[in-house]
Amino acid sequence: MASALTVLRRLYLSIYNWLVFIGWFQVLFLALKALKESGHEHVYNAVEKPLLLAQSAAVMEILHGLIGLVRSPVSSTLPQIGSRLYLTWGILWSFPEIRTHILVTSLVISWAITEIIRYSFFGMKEAFGFAPSWHLWLSRYSTFLVLYPTGISSEVGLIYFALPYIKASEKYCFRMPNKWNFSFDYFYAAILALGIYVPGSPHLYHYMLGQRKRALSKSKKE
Amino acid sequence: MKVTLVSRSGREFIKGGLELNDSATVADLQEAIHKRTKKFYPSRQRLTLPVPSGSRERPVILNYKKSLKDYCDGNENTLTIVFKDLGPQVSYRTLFFFEYLGPLILYPVFYYFPVYKYFGYEEKRVIHPVQTYALYYWCFHYFKRIMETFFIHRFSHATSPLSNVFRNCAYYWTFGSYIAYYVNHPLYTPVSDLQMKIGFGFGIVCQLANFYCHIILKNLRSPDGSGGYQIPRGFLFNIVTCANYTTEIYQWLGFNIATQTVAGYVFLVVATSIMTNWALAKHRRLKKVFFFYLSNY
Repeated sequence: MASALTVLRRLYLSIYNWLVFIGWFQVLFLALKALKESGHEHVYNAVEKPLLLAQSAAVMEILHGLIGLVRSPVSSTLPQIGSRLYLTWGILWSFPEIRTHILVTSLVISWAITEIIRYSFFGMKEAFGFAPSWHLWLSRYSTFLVLYPTGISSEVGLIYFALPYIKASEKYCFRMPNKWNFSFDYFYAAILALGIYVPGSPHLYHYMLGQRKRALSKSKKE
Repeated sequence: MKVTLVSRSGREFIKGGLELNDSATVADLQEAIHKRTKKFYPSRQRLTLPVPSGSRERPVILNYKKSLKDYCDGNENTLTIVFKDLGPQVSYRTLFFFEYLGPLILYPVFYYFPVYKYFGYEEKRVIHPVQTYALYYWCFHYFKRIMETFFIHRFSHATSPLSNVFRNCAYYWTFGSYIAYYVNHPLYTPVSDLQMKIGFGFGIVCQLANFYCHIILKNLRSPDGSGGYQIPRGFLFNIVTCANYTTEIYQWLGFNIATQTVAGYVFLVVATSIMTNWALAKHRRLKKVFFFYLSNY
């Protein structure tokens, strides 16, 4: 009984990881194609569908963690997915004026390469049962050295450049007076989000450096 | 007797160890360490007995009142102690004072000063009675807390890491400002007069009950903070283990019923979850120490 569940779990996770891998591969492919053929202003339009789909699918990973299907702690996946969804839906999809910015290109490429490596790694582990060769595994712990700074700078930059559009549109704002004496201003929330990046990014990068050191020292021992 | 001090990595922490009287207490050892290292005053020191490598047991923390002899089993002349630096420490009194000072000072700023001008609102505004009563209630609450910190609470030897000052002040000061912003807002919508009276009335009753709970807790200890760990009895402690937290939670509920802001209710939920965790831990600890401790649940 237990082994049937294990097989089911591996089958489901293999399919999940490979499907999302394909999504992100599409994003990278279409982004580079649009960049070459039409220029950076057209990258978003080219990748919108697979991007929205692949990024939103990541919500499943929170569920996977909660029900114990995977071992990753919810506490670390939640902020990562949160910031991705915020950028994808809360900035890019909500404020079309920002879509032509060049940082969209660097964002999308940074995300896509990171996710392609990550999903193929987990896809192989679930499907074939083994951790890939030292090389591929190394790229998982080394590419972030470049991709985290480029990705995070793109995220911060896009939020910053979107601020005037956010303020002007009054989108997602809830005003007073009301009987619950509550208000929400999306513009100030965006500024708060920028503020969180200040301590959050070095913390995350530092954490990844630690993970890398641990993983590489472990491989040296093997 | 000779005491060898090692760090958690096994390195000798004080070269050559320390020489102490056979009758010395842990407190004497702490003093000796402080004298030798200058930087590590006693509350910064975490002294434990070495745990055999591979063992998953939690290390035994030395009690400052006990004599060193109690921790030597067998050889009465040498003792190896593991040292850990807990970092700069502050007394709970200091910590509480700064935590509570923020809300006490920041809230009236939103009431008395034309703060909302900077948020784009006109200067002139109507002040509803409930906003004035809320100011009195809030400030009384934090004034009470500060008074209790200095005159009622009997703190044990325990201290808190300095970093907690920043963390706790951020919590209290941010929430204090967040709530003050909404209750004193020019576009604030008051609840009915009856609801306001029920809210504040209930809140005041709970604050008085909370004060009495603190008195009961204080009497469990002697003035220097010793008295160890005891089961509180009487009044609401016959119903719940941490009646002080219960009354505190309900007191905030009263404030929110009267003022009705999402900000206030968010604070209530967060504070309740924090205090609930503390209460569950205390209940578990009491049950472990006094395994005949009866409770209703």
